[in-house]
Amino acid sequence: MNIFESVILAIDAVRSHKLRSSLTLFSIAIGIFAIIGSGTAVTSLNETVTKQMAEMGEGVFVLQKFPPVMSNDMWKKLRGRKDINFQQAKLFQQKMIENAEAVGIENSTGGIKVKYGNLSTDQNVSVAGGDDAYFITTNIMIEYGRPLNSEDVSMNRRVVVIGDDLVKKLFPVGSPLGKIITIKKQNFTVIGTIKRRGSVLGQSLDNRVIIPITVFMKYIADEWDVSVAISVKALSLDKVDETMDEAIGIMRGIRGDQPWMESSFAYYTNNTLSEQFEGFTKYVGFFGIGAGIVALVVAGVGIMNIMLVTVKERTREIGVRKALGAKRRWILQQFIIEAITLCQLGGGIGIILGLMGGVFLSLILGTVVAVPLHWIGISIGVCTFLGVFFGAYPAWKASKLDPIEALRYE
Amino acid sequence: MNNDIIINIEDVAKTYQMGAETVHALRSVSLQIRKNEYIAIMGPSGSGKSTMMNIVGCLDTPTKGTYLFENENVATMNDNELADIRNRKIGFVFQTFNLLARASTLKNVELPLVYAGVKKDERQQRAFAALESVGLQDRTHHKPNELSGGQRQRVAIARALVTKPSIILADEPTGNLDSKTGVEIMRLFGELWKNGNTVILVTHEEDIARHAHRIVRIRDGMIESDTINPSPAEV
Repeated sequence: MNIFESVILAIDAVRSHKLRSSLTLFSIAIGIFAIIGSGTAVTSLNETVTKQMAEMGEGVFVLQKFPPVMSNDMWKKLRGRKDINFQQAKLFQQKMIENAEAVGIENSTGGIKVKYGNLSTDQNVSVAGGDDAYFITTNIMIEYGRPLNSEDVSMNRRVVVIGDDLVKKLFPVGSPLGKIITIKKQNFTVIGTIKRRGSVLGQSLDNRVIIPITVFMKYIADEWDVSVAISVKALSLDKVDETMDEAIGIMRGIRGDQPWMESSFAYYTNNTLSEQFEGFTKYVGFFGIGAGIVALVVAGVGIMNIMLVTVKERTREIGVRKALGAKRRWILQQFIIEAITLCQLGGGIGIILGLMGGVFLSLILGTVVAVPLHWIGISIGVCTFLGVFFGAYPAWKASKLDPIEALRYE
Repeated sequence: MNNDIIINIEDVAKTYQMGAETVHALRSVSLQIRKNEYIAIMGPSGSGKSTMMNIVGCLDTPTKGTYLFENENVATMNDNELADIRNRKIGFVFQTFNLLARASTLKNVELPLVYAGVKKDERQQRAFAALESVGLQDRTHHKPNELSGGQRQRVAIARALVTKPSIILADEPTGNLDSKTGVEIMRLFGELWKNGNTVILVTHEEDIARHAHRIVRIRDGMIESDTINPSPAEV
């Protein structure tokens, strides 16, 4: 009934003990900040990756020499693997094509400078060699011009499809189509531009060019990385597993893997990738929440301390209230509400800081800005719990005071 | 039984345990207080006067004997029941005023009504009326530290009156006031009595006690004398 009055009293208590209160509020804010911040980060990262995976096309799996994520031990075990060379890939493509919607072959390298006339990009463009099917399996859309076709690949044509970043940088005015750009001293004619894709984790997906895989292997590929990746799109979503089994069988045949041996190559779907990613973000989340909990426990002890001092200082007031007819539960309620108010003040600051931190991180990483509403709800709940839990003992002490003793207290 | 009797204390004793020693604060006290009496409880320090006040004010319960407050047996009540009796039936006035420093005059006077569960509108109305009756209707939004000692005690009296209690129990109400202000406060108690209130003063000052119509003197935990004051001081 006098909850409002208790809240006012609590804010008053904070004001009259600025240093002591602000230290405690600060540690609550840090705790909530850690929880909200990591919550925001995890939510943003996951949403970004999920979005990206969806964009890459469903029902696609990839076969390549190494798994996309490897531990040190795995690397030591797998480092001797033989490359999947272009001939193997070609053979696989021929055998697989009837049972799949598309089979693309790809290899890529990064850190390349691309020039047009006297304009040039930074040394950070990613150059991919691909074929016509690669555009389908990776869901790359064309804005102007056309994608690579099978003749481009089979006839080693010096043609290129460029990403939106390069369009902006090299062709600020006029159409890029038909223009000749230079990649690693080789000239390529621009035949198409890629529809803007945005960025993942701060990495632009538009700072790239795609040339025929045949030309890539000959002129552009790094000597130490001539192993290609094969992306397969199943005929339908429910056939992915079946298609994958088949593809693995064919590839094992091509690679000469004996029945008792493990496959000498790796395979994964978008789902396995995003699962791995969520596994990683989970750790980020656990770490943040762990740090937050430590800070909150420290803060809770601080709250208890503040409340004990408050009860001591206001012993006389408690005596007066009791003399005027306050029952035990009124006193209990008053001090618990004060403790909750303190916690909510700190928590509010923490929520604001956490959201700001999360948004800041999202901007840096170029991820989707996700406001984790459920985390805000959890924070408010946690603050209430802290107030009740750490305020209970001081409030109980206050409610137990003998009114006569309390009135006599100086 | 006379319905006029508000307080009926019969053979009440109070002992405290101080370490190994048993302190007999009250040995055996019997006292009846009727409606609209103006009574002073007197005694030097250590006489048991404070213990008497605490028991009369339902802040404490006796170790022995019976205490009927308007026919309710207070002696066997628990903390919450006592709080309820204090809230509804007793108006306290303290020597040191005991106002809440951070709350306005009006809020201070409202406080007992908050604990009585009275709704806000009615609470404010009644608090204002109580302040009006002590002549502080134009000080409702002042904080205690913006008021003089006499004004603070008036606020405390308004707070005691606001629940329309059966008794007003004042503990050395002029102890912290200069004599001129003290006289004003005593005049106010006189008016309260004239308006039908039952006033109990607890004091060690003869000057204050002589305003009462009946004087009970306590010494060594016993009632030494219980006399009618033939000529109460008028102010």
